[in-house]
Amino acid sequence: MVQFLIKRFIGLLFVVMGVTFITFIMGYFAPGDPIRLQMGQHADPLLYAQLRHAYGLDLPWYQQYFNFLMGLLRLDFGNAFRYPSRTAWDILSAGVPVSTELAFWALLLQLIVGVPLGIYSALKANTRIDTFTMGVALSIYAIPAFVLAVCLQVAIMQIDQATGGTWPVANWGTPWQYSWDDIQHKIGPILILAAAGFAYFARLARTSMLEVLRQDYVRTARAKGMRERVVIYRHALRNALIPLVTVLGLAIGLLVTGVFFIENIFNIPGIAYATVSSISDRDYPVIQATSVLFAVAVVVGNFISDILYTVVDPRIRAE
Amino acid sequence: MKEQDSELASPGALFPGSPIVPREPELTDLALETTDAAGIATGIPEEQLQKERKAPTPLRESLRRLRRDVRAMVSIGVVGLFVLIALIGPPIYQHIGPVYNSPLNGPVPSTDYHSFSHQELTRQDEGPSAQYWLGTDDLGRDLMARLMQGILISLSVALFVEVIDISLGMLIGVLAGYYGGWIDQMLARFTDIIFAFPGLLFLVLLTGIFGEWADVALSNIPIIGPNGNARLILVSGAIALTAWPLMARYVRGQTLQLKQQHFIEAARTVGTSHTQIMLRHILPNLFSIVVVVATLNVVGTIVGEAGISLLGLGVQQPGSSIGLMIAEAEDLVATHPWEILLPSLVLVMIVLAFSFFGDGLRDAFDPRSKDE
Repeated sequence: MVQFLIKRFIGLLFVVMGVTFITFIMGYFAPGDPIRLQMGQHADPLLYAQLRHAYGLDLPWYQQYFNFLMGLLRLDFGNAFRYPSRTAWDILSAGVPVSTELAFWALLLQLIVGVPLGIYSALKANTRIDTFTMGVALSIYAIPAFVLAVCLQVAIMQIDQATGGTWPVANWGTPWQYSWDDIQHKIGPILILAAAGFAYFARLARTSMLEVLRQDYVRTARAKGMRERVVIYRHALRNALIPLVTVLGLAIGLLVTGVFFIENIFNIPGIAYATVSSISDRDYPVIQATSVLFAVAVVVGNFISDILYTVVDPRIRAE
Repeated sequence: MKEQDSELASPGALFPGSPIVPREPELTDLALETTDAAGIATGIPEEQLQKERKAPTPLRESLRRLRRDVRAMVSIGVVGLFVLIALIGPPIYQHIGPVYNSPLNGPVPSTDYHSFSHQELTRQDEGPSAQYWLGTDDLGRDLMARLMQGILISLSVALFVEVIDISLGMLIGVLAGYYGGWIDQMLARFTDIIFAFPGLLFLVLLTGIFGEWADVALSNIPIIGPNGNARLILVSGAIALTAWPLMARYVRGQTLQLKQQHFIEAARTVGTSHTQIMLRHILPNLFSIVVVVATLNVVGTIVGEAGISLLGLGVQQPGSSIGLMIAEAEDLVATHPWEILLPSLVLVMIVLAFSFFGDGLRDAFDPRSKDE
């Protein structure tokens, strides 16, 4: 088991290296000269050379990449070009609690609603309830999150206008605080972000449960005359949940994609919002930092999946 | 373990990836075939009749199943309708309507005011009318014209991406599956990186850094360059780059299974070369899986382009794209919800049509996938 995890860890390290390299090389070939941008066209050549040296831009690419990696380990993603006194991390760090909060609640909601619904659908396989639930799930999965977000905004606006209410459609309350005002702000975006992943979990849970119900040991359990409840909850359910832990990394990937749209449509001051705003200022380090942060989040999610997988499936430990 | 992972880790990955086994012909099918053959029997030599009585090929069987699938047929109809609207809609629409005497621009012919970039600043945020069939946006541009242009952009990007996706995915996938070895290893590593890097993130990174450069450097390319569309080259290239590994993975899996079949062994025994086997025996058997994966991938591509344009990183003004239309109408949600609902609903229709058609194709090619 330890061997398996080490092997996976090395694989994931390789992935992180690949991702950081792609990110670095894009910044390296980025058009425009950041120093010129700061100093203007008529810069003093000596000062220009000094600044280039200070930023390490005169080094060969592999040394720059090494410095980039070393910087990442210290959460130092470089300085923002537009405001040289601020680091990219300064710009992003305020958004971290907001984005993690949004993603956390969305993931939790996906799991506690999606999985039971999928299991229930599997137990009622090929009935009308099943067809209906899965049709809804497929539609929600296919409809882009930003369209759902827009529709929700329009609906809230219309209701507000009709009833004279003041339910907000933008901004975010204080991170991790839940006064009534905070909840009003947060509930809409969280629901929309949860929607795509919820459908994915529901479909996966259904497939997995159906697969398990076909197994011989389930038939044996029934043949022994066990009550259906016991067969389902003791024997089938536990094994049906195993494949679900393997998709945590993917679920985080879905969340990352969703966060970009949700934060920008609802004006939520999270990481993705800060990133997109910084693009007009050509703050490449901010974009690079976000890419690395999100990709690492996906990789860590994958690694947690692997660990959970070895915990819940004894066959992996035995290998 | 690895295979199992990849099956689960890809959205919509319920395709078991097994070769298609011809279904036992049903009695009714056979009866139909013979009457058909007998009906045109006059004057046709006996040999050809024998040929026509042969069991239907798996492909024909699948197509028959597809034709019976109402949802899939409606979906392909919707897709076809949108293709028509995008291709022949604008030229027709621009020749409908009288000359409009604009208080600002003087007489304006319909070819102008029905174009997607013409601004008529005294006619902002109007509802549908005889002159503007779907109304105008906040700069007095025709929403119908912008919408048709947006659909055209979505479909063109999808087409471009699929061409790369299919050719690269099949090439690498077949080689990796057939030979294994280092190319297989490279594919696995590359796929791992791509899967860890959500496609949208890569798009944001690429267009964020190179977008402005593309606006200037690529805008001179004829047809695809002007009207703020220059970045689409970056966008579709990036989407294709993140899409093909999944295709390659499916093709690889299918190739691995085909390789173990007896007919490949037989071909080897009679001395067929590896290249010939791949071209003549493996490629034709990949048809179904490639079509299904490509159709379902179109959904992601169209949403990706709309999304990146929504974030302001894709199509630029004065061009139009469904995502850009949504972004432009974002500030008008309270006062003119129609302007944001219109492109959103059209996007949903396109996306649902492609997913339902993809699903129908999968069920038709592999009926067993339905119970999963």
